[in-house]
Amino acid sequence: MVRAIRGVLIECEPAIKSIIVHFDSVNNDIIIEDLDETHLVVKENMVHVLKQKLEERLKETYRPEEPLQDSE
Amino acid sequence: MPPKRKAAPAQGAAAKAGRTSAMSTPGPATPRSLDGSIMSDADEDFDEDVTEAQKEREALLGKEADDFVNKFSFAGKGLRTQADDMGQELRRYDAATPFFRKRDYSHLPLKADHHNRPLWIDPENGTIVLERFSPLAEQATDFLITIAEPKSRPTFLHEYALTTHSLYAAVSVGLRPKDIINTLERFLKTPLPAAVRKNIEDTTKSYGKVKLVLKNNKYFVESVDADMLQMLLKDPVIGALRVHGSEQITTSHAPTMVGLVIPGTQNAAGVHQANLRQAEKMPGANGVAANEADLFAALNEEDDDDDKEAVHAFEISDNSVETVQKRCLDIGFPILEEYDFRNDDVNPNLEIDLRPNTQIRPYQEKSLSKMFGNGRAKSGIIVLPCGAGKTLVGITAACTIKKGIIVLCTSSMSVVQWRQEFLKWSNINPDDVAIFTAESKQKFSGSTGIIVTTYSMVTNSRERSHDSKKMMDFLRGREWGLMLLDEVHVVPAEMFRRVISSIKSHSKLGLTATLLREDDRISHLNFLIGPKLYEANWMELSQQGHIAKVQCAEVWCPMPTEFYDEYLRANARMKRTLYAMNPRKFQACQYLINYHESRGDKIIVFSDELYSLKQYALKLKKVFIYGGTSQAERMQVLENFQHNPDVNTLFLSKIGDTSLDLPEATCLIQISSHFGSRRQEAQRLGRILRAKRRNDEGFNAFFYSLVSKDTQEMYYSSKRQAFLVDQGYAFKVITQLANIEKTPDLAFATPQECRELLQRTLVDNEKGAEEDVETDDLFGRTRRRGRAGGGGGRKGNGVRRTAGTLGELSGGQDMAYIEQNKAANRGLRKGGKAGAGAGGQSGFFKKIQREKDKSKQAARAGQ
Amino acid sequence: MPAPLRLSELDVWVRAEGKMQRDRALSILRSLHIIQITPPGKDKPQEMQLTTNFKNSLRLALEGGGKHSSFGVPSTLPVDARIDIAHLDGYARKKWEDILHYVVNSVPVHGEGLGGGSAGGPKTSVKDLLLAGRLVERRHDTRGGVGITQAGFTFLLQEANAQVWTLLLLWLEAADHSKTAEQAKGFSTEHKPDSIDMLSFLFMLASLELGRAYDTDALTETRRNMLPALVDFGLIYIPREDTRQYFPTRLATTLTSSASALRSVSSGFAAATTNTSNDAASLGLSSAAADPPPNNAPTTNKGSIIIETNYRLYAYTASPLQIAVLALFTQLNMRFAGMVTGRLTRDSIRRAIGFGITADQIIAYLAGHAHEQMVRAAAATGRPVLPPTVVDQIRLWQLENERMRTAAGFLFKDFDTPDEYAALSGYADEIGVLVWRNDRKKVFFASKFEQLRDYLKSRKKAE
Repeated sequence: MVRAIRGVLIECEPAIKSIIVHFDSVNNDIIIEDLDETHLVVKENMVHVLKQKLEERLKETYRPEEPLQDSE
Repeated sequence: MPPKRKAAPAQGAAAKAGRTSAMSTPGPATPRSLDGSIMSDADEDFDEDVTEAQKEREALLGKEADDFVNKFSFAGKGLRTQADDMGQELRRYDAATPFFRKRDYSHLPLKADHHNRPLWIDPENGTIVLERFSPLAEQATDFLITIAEPKSRPTFLHEYALTTHSLYAAVSVGLRPKDIINTLERFLKTPLPAAVRKNIEDTTKSYGKVKLVLKNNKYFVESVDADMLQMLLKDPVIGALRVHGSEQITTSHAPTMVGLVIPGTQNAAGVHQANLRQAEKMPGANGVAANEADLFAALNEEDDDDDKEAVHAFEISDNSVETVQKRCLDIGFPILEEYDFRNDDVNPNLEIDLRPNTQIRPYQEKSLSKMFGNGRAKSGIIVLPCGAGKTLVGITAACTIKKGIIVLCTSSMSVVQWRQEFLKWSNINPDDVAIFTAESKQKFSGSTGIIVTTYSMVTNSRERSHDSKKMMDFLRGREWGLMLLDEVHVVPAEMFRRVISSIKSHSKLGLTATLLREDDRISHLNFLIGPKLYEANWMELSQQGHIAKVQCAEVWCPMPTEFYDEYLRANARMKRTLYAMNPRKFQACQYLINYHESRGDKIIVFSDELYSLKQYALKLKKVFIYGGTSQAERMQVLENFQHNPDVNTLFLSKIGDTSLDLPEATCLIQISSHFGSRRQEAQRLGRILRAKRRNDEGFNAFFYSLVSKDTQEMYYSSKRQAFLVDQGYAFKVITQLANIEKTPDLAFATPQECRELLQRTLVDNEKGAEEDVETDDLFGRTRRRGRAGGGGGRKGNGVRRTAGTLGELSGGQDMAYIEQNKAANRGLRKGGKAGAGAGGQSGFFKKIQREKDKSKQAARAGQ
Repeated sequence: MPAPLRLSELDVWVRAEGKMQRDRALSILRSLHIIQITPPGKDKPQEMQLTTNFKNSLRLALEGGGKHSSFGVPSTLPVDARIDIAHLDGYARKKWEDILHYVVNSVPVHGEGLGGGSAGGPKTSVKDLLLAGRLVERRHDTRGGVGITQAGFTFLLQEANAQVWTLLLLWLEAADHSKTAEQAKGFSTEHKPDSIDMLSFLFMLASLELGRAYDTDALTETRRNMLPALVDFGLIYIPREDTRQYFPTRLATTLTSSASALRSVSSGFAAATTNTSNDAASLGLSSAAADPPPNNAPTTNKGSIIIETNYRLYAYTASPLQIAVLALFTQLNMRFAGMVTGRLTRDSIRRAIGFGITADQIIAYLAGHAHEQMVRAAAATGRPVLPPTVVDQIRLWQLENERMRTAAGFLFKDFDTPDEYAALSGYADEIGVLVWRNDRKKVFFASKFEQLRDYLKSRKKAE
């Protein structure tokens, strides 16, 4: 029987997907359906939180800007 | 430079040493923090088998250094208030002002001819912006490098910072506050802000006023200001230390550089050495000095009268030197050390001179002229990029002073190199250059000479053999004219403290490429050695062809999903291994090696991660050297790399970061690095700066950093680059290597292979609880090595894994690999041990042997 | 000119060296269909004459006949001597700068510094217009509660003349829109100006004389109703004491001229570098107008920005507006008279990108305003003007923003038959709600649900 499930489709790079899957592995409360390497469907109400967590996570991979006032 | 002290070593080095062993336990490498502490040299552990007295001395020195740092931190706060008060009624406000908060200085009026002046200054924190395209840029640059700290030196506009230490350095090379102020005034587009002027006056007031001079083997406290000396004499501590019976205050003329010729300079060519000691007028004394004089004289014509300044002095006894130094610091008049070597009749002269055809380069001359500006030797640090000839600067300094010289290096190989350089550039009698290492404990034959040794030899007393003890007594029992301190940036302050307090020298010259430490101990060096005398501009030297031009690139290597999933789950240490073992990175490395080998480059691949170092090297069938490689094998590998046309790629662990001189190398690839160490990045870049082919038409050396995308490596990578980027190097980001999939025999090309690699990596490293710390510099003595150990140094190991060598400083902690991986390496080593010509087990190495012999012959024929 | 004029007679009036100008003038007049010139022939000398339409309209206009007051009706009332051209220029500049500042979101916190008048930026009506035109949008993370948009950034980079027209067209559109809206509700539309008439009023304004007072009473009611808005835009000035007079400003009188009334933001940069000590000249209005600035023409084209390989940015400018534009994508640091320093950072670029400004726009801006030192160095080395690593990095920062795309909707799965999947996904595609599909797994994602449900029902029924 065909089903239609409300959610948000996410299209992203594999690495981003890995991170989302990693987040989900804690409480299994994000992902509705894992579609393929670059697509998944997540719960609508989690999108905002997810974006925040992702941004935080990716911040670890960039150098934070030093303030210019850092006159050493 | 505000005091950003982290760990206060005031409790003394000894206490610290005991405590820190826990820190260097490799364990799971949880990054302790993302800031500097992970790189902190303060975590250093070195043996504490020293006398109580020595400990006390060191503790004292440590405290003094801290005091020094605290006392003379740039009074930023006070300055800010002043600036505000002053600017209040003048400040303007418009729509753009809020973007700058307090840093809108548009109210500072421009001088009428501001177009012809190259400098702007931030009145609050002393940041100076220099227009490099101004006609006065050259002069202004010369001036700024003397008085300020270079912060950003790309193409068009440079930034410098006036700091307490930079001003201190300026004063110590002979600039007076009014020179600084007048010259700044002349170059500035706006009038010199009153707050800056006041700050310069305040900061410099106490600097350089009092000097400690060793003259006729007596210590004198000297000053041009008689009142100041009177004041010092009234000081209860200092006054009491004056040598009684001597004239209270003697007066003489200030020394000048007249008559002193730095060998190897244009002038020296025409001057017979015999004249050197006649302090008489020599026409056109010295090229550089004259130039500098021109500059400053032109700026301050009225200063001419001061040329025949009188100096006043009183004598203090030898054993009160430290007390006086400390007391002067306490009362706010830090003492400058100078060595009037031309009038030192007590210490025997050393027969040494540069070889007649030796010419030093303009920047080398410039840096030395700062050291010998007034005809005496000042202690301090000279900063030149790797490959720019630091050694020759040191040797020239030695040839100028011509007294007993002690050279301290970071590794025993470096010791050998220094000795060879002395023989190459100077006419020193080989018998007069002796080596003191674990293997060799020579003394020079004559009354004086040169000793080349390592920091650890003179600081490590625990494993000291009888011979070493005798040698140490010899070193301690003498007065040295000059102490040359190589690679000062890697040596922990505690070590310096021990060296400096145990060996007596009249002057100290520190040499380094990067005066960068991730801790804040650089300022300690200023106290322990002296101010920074000179810092060269990398880009400029590269444009002039003194060092190679380098193309820098950061190659982004995405991680296959399985790897990345694993990465996300892994602990910090495994994360490091995984991003190093990323198969896409491996492919990128393979591709780059292929590409550069085919265009005739010699390639060094650096990996801090031993596991990946070996995996890469073995899989790609390349030679490698790491801490566990025996001395003989190292020599063999290096020789092949240099001369064998079939050995074009060399894998090196971080033991090759410094002091490795391989002018054949023209391409460098980093696959794993020590976190965010800017210093390591600069040091590694230095490995290719002296490329032999650098002056070939259109030659470029290449520097690649391979980073795994979306991992912390990205963060570290950009942090590492910060220093070089501010020197004007540009890192191009490469997200795709063209046609990488067409690489023949591309490794890990199938998902299956990638998965196997992942599994193997996980399994191998899970067992890696067995730790081995890489303890060594390249060619250094291998102390207390773990099971991977080549020869020697096993005793005293066991429970303490806290090897405290220089190698570790540059990031040896957390390094692990496991037993089973040594198999291939052992094969190589056997091949190596089998000696020249003989066949080892590895066919690969047999070939190398053959080639080596051939190329040796070729080299001989070529000479 | 009732009768045709022979060209040979015209030549008598023209100096030999002015022939070129004459030809150019004639050609322009012809292209505007103002004059006709007979073709050259052997038997008849060439003649020129006014076109019939132009002749009639001109006569009408000159005689004040018809309903059009084509060139406005000058005021007969006494004119305040203080209202001179300089005053009008200052007024117009202030008004226009306020608008631009609002767009870049740098409305002064206090009214000081920019002279008197309406503190705190443009009138609410103007702000609403900018919002409606999507040059700015409401944001909570900015100082003024609004932030610039991509269209706004494009707007900023235009010539001032084009900027004025952009704004006026938005205004006309809005007027049209509200008219249609009211019509729909059945309201009378009598006194709502229609955009055609508004447009012709603007053209009329363009033909008026700068510095002269005109009579408001002579205007139709429709046009009088337009005046407050035009005052807000800075196109006309109405003295507070005497609202029976209006003065067109340079913004209005140059609307249809090809010469730029105000220098664009971009060239204002250059103006600032040549006149660093006086930021009042930053927009260049005072020295602007139709004639190009004397002698310093080359310097006014000089770019002002230096961007280094270490992302440090230096701009030789004193103009608050220029600085505000830079602040959109730069982390500013210090400001001196005529020079500011800052740095491009990931955050500063990402912020700009958050506003909708694109990496390419930023790069184009930096390239377009590169300091002559950069241009010279690039020419000498044969390399690009901007450091390639910086250009790459700006683009990479933008890419970071595009790493994840989201679309709300419905996942369709668990189909009974392949046919069912094929039919439904095909239908979804047809009606344009299909977002993503995987034929192998037989799942798809659609943005809407209802139509597909209905389709499925009807399909089932049909079976």
